[in-house]
Amino acid sequence: MKLLCVKMNQLQVEWDQVPVAYEHLGGRALIAKLLLEEIPPTCDALGPHNKLIFAPGLLGGAGVTTAGRLSVGSKSPLTGGVKETNAGGTAGDTLGKLGIKAIVVEGQPARGNLYLLHIRNESAELLPADELQGLGTYATSDRLQEKYGKDCSVISIGPAGECLMTGAGVATTGERDQRSNHAARGGLGAVMGSKGLKAIVIDKPAGKSIPFADEELFRNTSRAYAQKLINDPKLGTKGSQHLYGTASIVAAVNEMGSMPTRNFSNGNFEQADDLRGEHLRELVLARDGKVGTRCMPGCVIACRNQYVDEKGMPIVGTLQYETIALVGSNLGIGNLDDVARLNYMCNDLGLDTIETGAALGVVMEAGLVQFGDMEGIVSLLRQVEEGTALGRVIGNGAVTAGRVFGIRRVPVALGQAMPGYDPRSLKGNGVTYATSPQGADHTAGNAFGARKEVNPLGIQGQKELSLKLQIISAMLDSTGLCLFARPPVIADPQIMVDMLNGIYGWGWTKDDLDRFNRDVLRNELEFNRRAGITSADYRIPEYMREEPLAPHNAVFDVPDSDLDSVFDTL
Amino acid sequence: MSIDVELFGQLMSNKQRRQTLEIASPTLIREVVNRLGLKEDEIGLITVDGVQSEPEDLICPGSRLCFFPPMSGG
Repeated sequence: MKLLCVKMNQLQVEWDQVPVAYEHLGGRALIAKLLLEEIPPTCDALGPHNKLIFAPGLLGGAGVTTAGRLSVGSKSPLTGGVKETNAGGTAGDTLGKLGIKAIVVEGQPARGNLYLLHIRNESAELLPADELQGLGTYATSDRLQEKYGKDCSVISIGPAGECLMTGAGVATTGERDQRSNHAARGGLGAVMGSKGLKAIVIDKPAGKSIPFADEELFRNTSRAYAQKLINDPKLGTKGSQHLYGTASIVAAVNEMGSMPTRNFSNGNFEQADDLRGEHLRELVLARDGKVGTRCMPGCVIACRNQYVDEKGMPIVGTLQYETIALVGSNLGIGNLDDVARLNYMCNDLGLDTIETGAALGVVMEAGLVQFGDMEGIVSLLRQVEEGTALGRVIGNGAVTAGRVFGIRRVPVALGQAMPGYDPRSLKGNGVTYATSPQGADHTAGNAFGARKEVNPLGIQGQKELSLKLQIISAMLDSTGLCLFARPPVIADPQIMVDMLNGIYGWGWTKDDLDRFNRDVLRNELEFNRRAGITSADYRIPEYMREEPLAPHNAVFDVPDSDLDSVFDTL
Repeated sequence: MSIDVELFGQLMSNKQRRQTLEIASPTLIREVVNRLGLKEDEIGLITVDGVQSEPEDLICPGSRLCFFPPMSGG
């Protein structure tokens, strides 16, 4: 495998051998190690010394179902620490097939011009892309696929990333005209913008497949793994994840009192009934839209949808739980059509719906627009597009919005907005938000699925649960697996060990895998430590410890001493 | 004396989504499961007034009881 180094200051690309220290790494694990080794931890995240990394997971390109996610990593301009955020689409799998362990973008061009990186088999070149300036991610993807072919993968940023807004993410394309995949979190779209890189185009390699050390072991294990997913009552064709998508949990999270509502001021939204996944399915099918679609070819879970309007015209490629929570209930919006429109606007601007939803919630608490006022929210997002001062405040996320408007209730941890679970009623997630080196992140160790193991409203067992989940997440994000595909590898980690040994011939044991997973977190925590992040930063906002959340009147009361000792047994 | 019951996801199929059931006194949730014709292994989460509960827990008149299928995270 090789590394593709993109030097934006010289506008040159270079193919490098993978250093020995990176050989056993992929995705998030590679990002963590590379940040620690190569990025000055106190550097300006939007300056020339930061690097932006695109890496498939260790399973990328091998053809494992649900394992083609693309990790994007960098020092985050939002948290000031390490960031890995990942997305579906075809780019992760394609990079794996091409034997590219990572694309590492460094430096900055001398002037404010925009560039495009085009990768075609063994060659790569940087091309001027000023004609794409200001284009949204949908138009950028369309235009580049018209030029380079419908089956190429496009990774791009929108105007928000170009303007270095720290709520900006990175968009990827899927098969054919599939859009709306986003490595959304941590402001990495702004890092891409700071490099002057508007997009990456990767031509689909013809008939490429990766070499296997033990193909029989790999094939047998990956087939058995796919079958286990199909047989899983949550994930198979009769499972709620497939039938209703990630929105299958709307009603349950609402019932449990953890649904972010009106800037996280209530855990229960009175219009949640109309935001449920069950309703989404009925609506989409009645309008001849699609449910059970995929973000990655060959995924056996197929939890996406294509959300269409009343006339059957597509609004957004998929409507997902976190977006429904953050730009739906969190803004007092109880209508899926409205949520879908806001989702499209954020996607096209290249904004994270979680960060932006939280920022809008803060601005609405300040009274600029009333909760539930769809037209008011649309006008705020238009200001992001226009680049007005208010638009830039919103595009820079919840912390910036809170500071500008003097709002104390800012739902963030480590500077990053909380996803769709209020931590007062789902305290395990609060521990993860506070302590994850990634900041508040639902993919870093989500306790919702472990609600039977540990009482979501209690204190006991939360820190142990969070650590366990954070270690699992490190494995998923480093191998390119979707987090929904985790049950079989949690139940039997030997499945993951055998797939990796089948590809690479490492002769790993379960202990080796466990060490690998833990090392990801160790490296990330060390980078953050060197970046100046201390235990005082790994905290839940004060108001969440003091203001009870309806309906359970819960506060976040896991003691700081528990937060400080989560990683004692790492 | 009654409880409000609501079913979600696949549990709604061929069943009434919302109903009010008469119960005389505290009743085992398991008995309600049986009255509704649900199978315990098809249930992923039970809540009583928003609090996670188990089939062997009791439910009192005036409560809201919800049944969800097995679910993954968001």
